[in-house]
Amino acid sequence: MIFGRKNRKPIAITDKKVVEWKYAVCGYCSTGCSIEVGLNVEGKPVASRGKGNAPVNQGKLCIKGIFEHELSGTAGRGTEPLMRNKIYDTFQPASWDAALDKTAEEFTRIQEKYGRDSVAVVSTGQLLTEEFYTLGKLVRGVLGTNNYDGNTTLCMASAVSGYKRSFGADGPPGCYDDFENTHCLMAFGSNLPEQHPIIYWRLKEALEKRKFPLIVVDPRVTMFAQFADIHLPITPGTDLVLLNALAHVILAEGLQDEAYIEAHCNGFEELKATVAKYDPVTASRICGIDADMIKNVARIYAKAPSAMSIWTMGINQSTHGTDGVCGINNLNLITGNIGVPGGTSLSITGQCNAMGTREWSSCSGLPGYRMLEKQEHRDEVAKFWGVDADFFPAKRGLQQTDIFPAIESGEIKALWIVATNPLTSMPNQPRIKKALEKLEFMVVQDGYKDCETVNFAHVYLPGALWGEKEGVQTNTERRVNLVRKFVEPPGQAKPDHWIFSELAKRFERGRAMTFPELSSDIFDEMKLLSKGDKRNLDISGMSHDLIEAQRGIQWPMREGEATGNPRLYSDGIFPTPNGKANLLAMAYIEDNEVPDESYPFWLNSGRVVEHFHTRTKTGKIGNLNKFSPTAYMEMNPDSAREQGVKHQSYVRLVSKRGDAIVMVQLTQRVPHNMVFIPMHYHDCVNRLSLGLLDPYSRQPAFKQCAVRIEQIDQKEAGRLNVERRAY
Amino acid sequence: MWKVRDDEPGYAFLKESTAPAVNYYEAPIDLIARTGGSLPAGREMFINEEPGVGANPNRNKQHAFHFTADNCIGCHACEAACSEKNDNPAHISFRSVGYVEGGTYPDFKRMNISMACNHCDDPVCLKGCPTRAYTKHVEYGAVLQDPETCFGCGYCTWVCPYNAPQLDPIKGQVSKCNMCVDRLEVNLKPACVTACLGNALNFGVVDDLPDNREQGKLSIPGFPDPEITHPNIRFQQIKNMPDEVTRTDGMAVKYHKGDDGQYRPVVDQKKGVEKKWSLSKLNSRENPLVIFTLVSQASLGAFLIAFLGAQLGIDSLAAMRNSVMYVPLMALTVGLAGLGMLMSATHLGKPWRFYRGFNNLRHSPVCREGLGMLLYMVFAGVHLLAMLPANEVFIKVVGDWGHLNGFAAACGYLALMSGSVGLYYMYRCYRIPARPFWNHWQTATSFLGTAITLGSVLLGVVGIPTLIAFGGNVAQLFTIALGGIALGSMMEGLGLWFHAGAMDKANNEGSVSHYIQSTVFGKSYVLRNTVLAANVVIAISLIFVAPSVTTFGLALLLCLSALVTAIIGRTLFYVLVIPTTMPGAFFWKNKDFEEHARDIGLANMPQVGVVAHAH
Repeated sequence: MIFGRKNRKPIAITDKKVVEWKYAVCGYCSTGCSIEVGLNVEGKPVASRGKGNAPVNQGKLCIKGIFEHELSGTAGRGTEPLMRNKIYDTFQPASWDAALDKTAEEFTRIQEKYGRDSVAVVSTGQLLTEEFYTLGKLVRGVLGTNNYDGNTTLCMASAVSGYKRSFGADGPPGCYDDFENTHCLMAFGSNLPEQHPIIYWRLKEALEKRKFPLIVVDPRVTMFAQFADIHLPITPGTDLVLLNALAHVILAEGLQDEAYIEAHCNGFEELKATVAKYDPVTASRICGIDADMIKNVARIYAKAPSAMSIWTMGINQSTHGTDGVCGINNLNLITGNIGVPGGTSLSITGQCNAMGTREWSSCSGLPGYRMLEKQEHRDEVAKFWGVDADFFPAKRGLQQTDIFPAIESGEIKALWIVATNPLTSMPNQPRIKKALEKLEFMVVQDGYKDCETVNFAHVYLPGALWGEKEGVQTNTERRVNLVRKFVEPPGQAKPDHWIFSELAKRFERGRAMTFPELSSDIFDEMKLLSKGDKRNLDISGMSHDLIEAQRGIQWPMREGEATGNPRLYSDGIFPTPNGKANLLAMAYIEDNEVPDESYPFWLNSGRVVEHFHTRTKTGKIGNLNKFSPTAYMEMNPDSAREQGVKHQSYVRLVSKRGDAIVMVQLTQRVPHNMVFIPMHYHDCVNRLSLGLLDPYSRQPAFKQCAVRIEQIDQKEAGRLNVERRAY
Repeated sequence: MWKVRDDEPGYAFLKESTAPAVNYYEAPIDLIARTGGSLPAGREMFINEEPGVGANPNRNKQHAFHFTADNCIGCHACEAACSEKNDNPAHISFRSVGYVEGGTYPDFKRMNISMACNHCDDPVCLKGCPTRAYTKHVEYGAVLQDPETCFGCGYCTWVCPYNAPQLDPIKGQVSKCNMCVDRLEVNLKPACVTACLGNALNFGVVDDLPDNREQGKLSIPGFPDPEITHPNIRFQQIKNMPDEVTRTDGMAVKYHKGDDGQYRPVVDQKKGVEKKWSLSKLNSRENPLVIFTLVSQASLGAFLIAFLGAQLGIDSLAAMRNSVMYVPLMALTVGLAGLGMLMSATHLGKPWRFYRGFNNLRHSPVCREGLGMLLYMVFAGVHLLAMLPANEVFIKVVGDWGHLNGFAAACGYLALMSGSVGLYYMYRCYRIPARPFWNHWQTATSFLGTAITLGSVLLGVVGIPTLIAFGGNVAQLFTIALGGIALGSMMEGLGLWFHAGAMDKANNEGSVSHYIQSTVFGKSYVLRNTVLAANVVIAISLIFVAPSVTTFGLALLLCLSALVTAIIGRTLFYVLVIPTTMPGAFFWKNKDFEEHARDIGLANMPQVGVVAHAH
């Protein structure tokens, strides 16, 4: 000892006494990190660590993953089914039989009275893929309602629609390994370091090995924007204009990959004609990026030996979301950057298993990217399940964002919500609340009984959470990965696939079908259904054990193959009628709510790293929640001075929908005419948001609407703020 | 021993060292050499009582963090990994990330700063700790603290410029970063470093640059002056920051780039310019220390004047000593000293462990202060007992035991000596470089001035009625008491005058304290200063007026006024100090938010990470 005691002081360092580590893929975002959860001798999860040799995260975890073992002990979990006759009654505990019988009876009664489609099902991106498949089987094969969708409509629907329009099918063509190969990366509306920190780390590692240009398009100066070589602070909602202008410059300067376009693309002439109207000067007046910068960026991107684009909600959550995705695909197609190492379009997905629901839940059609509109798909699935193909609806029904208006109009009388919290997550919350009051019957199935939507339910079914059941999830780069069960659900909470199977038994059609009990058996069933000629979504070579052994496998992995495939469309063949990708000619139409004299501020929203979605999980874990325990808004200090708004005081925001109370954080991160609010808080940003819908994906434009700022008594605001934070 | 996994990723391992022989400060990096060879290499650390010597080839070299400020994304992974490993509750964090930012949209830059313990070459925490809970080890140079030894005085949290020691108000003890020495023993980097997602945080032998890094600077904007402790952290910051960067937390500090390129703290007028009373904010968790310092100083002052004055043969004071009231006066001073000791003990997280407060006499001013004041109380008490046989009432009741005047005087001198030592170290306790507002000679004039002022008040209040009742030179004592009040108040005033001037120009957190003093507490501050000046004037005026009922009445009011002035002054002293802490974030490590969360009741939810009612 240099200083201090001569005699040794004991050195005590926490030892969590882990006796076993269990394998799981993370249950928060869609990066797909492999986690090992440490159990102590009592079997209690006490530690989390990144799996050292996992291809995705290579031992790293973000803040949420680091504390994921604490999930099983979080407050507010449902431990028994609850029932009540009216939503103003108090919930009474019920047995599973009583709750499921009641649900089946009500669905039957309502379907008989108002028609099959009067019962709607809103699912999620949070379940395991086997559960999505089971739910799809139940809805398509047993309930037969066509009003069935997932909350993925709020996040990735535009990416899905865009992939389908450009390439003929959903599925991100690239992978994280492309960072190691690319020569230019352009990020649209993606705050990677905060939203997907592990993907950012992969990018950072690649950049430290070999520097390449990083271009970030974002109206806010995020850390990502700040670290970019070029930051384009775009006017909200005008990405399509920028993308058309980039294509304009590339074509005008002859920087395109003629051979690739010739061999693999449809619609080049139409594209050329449309983008001709978007010269950089015209575009600059709409999107707010100057003409020289547009030219500069177009040249850097087109001249790079390989270039890739990533995007997240900045593109998807827009009235031009799908067009934006197609514009990105256009950019990559005309520069030959699809299916090559370092050249790709890569949507960065939000929910742990948004990909799983897209692939297997039948929300947008039939399992395995099959479509209701294709007779051969209908026949194939009907035969496989043992149902009549005519029982399937002729075409896809309503999406989540259209289901609520259909409740308003009285078409839908019953709603089944599975593991999502629309009362917090849907735009225009006042409208959603009013709609939910009109329902004759609502079931909420969720791990948490304190999730706000439960307040409108007649029946509450307690679901098992991450690690309380076993199954697979698919990540952003199509990697199917496994969550092992390592802890029992609390009380009588049950895995969601058990709930689906048990409910199916209560219908005649359900009893005629088979619903396997074990998730590995369900997976085997999906494998059989995934096989087929030229099918990309093929998982027939995988098994739960092999997935764990390889720390996740990227589809397609066909039977007999040793492992998965990192990229799609490397052969230049696309799942379109003629095998070519579609270049899309898209004109920009100004249709947003934009700031005006009465509502002078853009309202932008997004995530913070410590929270996930509506905070039902992260709001209860102190070591996450403490970094932003209450709603706040970023505001520019210059406009704050004009408005008389002070740092760390409360203001009341008002839009044409409603109001919200937030604490103000003054920062030059946001422009003079914009405020930014994290999306996670109940009774906050979505009391204000409008959420105009994208015409293709029906995804709401969360990030573009207008608000004004009102002063509020600070004591009153503090009181309201506390009242609105149950967690 | 920590277990290395079969699939431990390469980045988790410490790299081979190519460090020079000495660090930036010319101190040997080899820690055995630093001890002059008095300790052997290859000792067991007995982490969790486990035997064995780690395989790390550099375990006797000083290790350090390296932080690439250009890269930190503020993702909290380091903080989370640390809290996960150490199983810390939400309100405690050994590592924290805050930030500074500047510029104008879109030319805006934020710089996140991740900071834990810097395992300093000159660990002020270790030197300050009265219980010797801290040790700087020759293994890795880790400064480790034993929470079980700690009694929760929080002095280490005062002296540390980086806010590294964490005082847990619930457990009543401090804990801090342990450098993950268990991981180091098996050649792994600390948990926070291994978790870093921006490739910002790194670790290794000090002044040995990590791979792919080119800078090992001593400071970045927002980082306190490294000269205070010689911290073991180095920085890379190649990207320029704006000339002025601000903090998002409530601290009224921003940083301005000087001609030498270094950023220095300046006042950020976050609290406006309006002068307020803010009387309720004078109430703080340091209240016991307000009482402790005031009553100890009053006791010392009264003892000093009464005892020494009598020894010197001053008429009225000798009469006082010979009167029946001398013993009660002494009882009062000893009682006040005792009350002070009690108050300082209640300030502890674990008051019943107060006896540990004398374990670090070699380094800690807290120990010396405590011991000095304790001995003062003991000797003053013995002096009192020795004076008892001379007391008329004692003689009447118990009988004549003979006088012990010589012994009493010896005890009195011993009490004076130990009291002076106590008072001196009471002052030294506050000469903390990390707390510039205190680190000024004004603290001395304040403590001594208060002792004289309040001592005179005490003496006057007890002595004058005594002399009136039993006979004696009332006018002289009156003059002495008034003179003491005038002198003490003048000392205090003079110190405050120079202090205000120094703080105003200081360009450090002291200037910020002064700004808060002149705005948030502006009216209270002005009131105190005015009354202090008035006290001097009134005291001097009364000396020249013949004693009468009116003048006694006025003098009594003056005493009251002196007491109020002292209380306001001392509470201001404690609430105004602004430490050289790292910048916080908007919620986490933002004192203003913590206060707000307590006010509105948000803190009642433990997951908010704010302890509802601080100790």
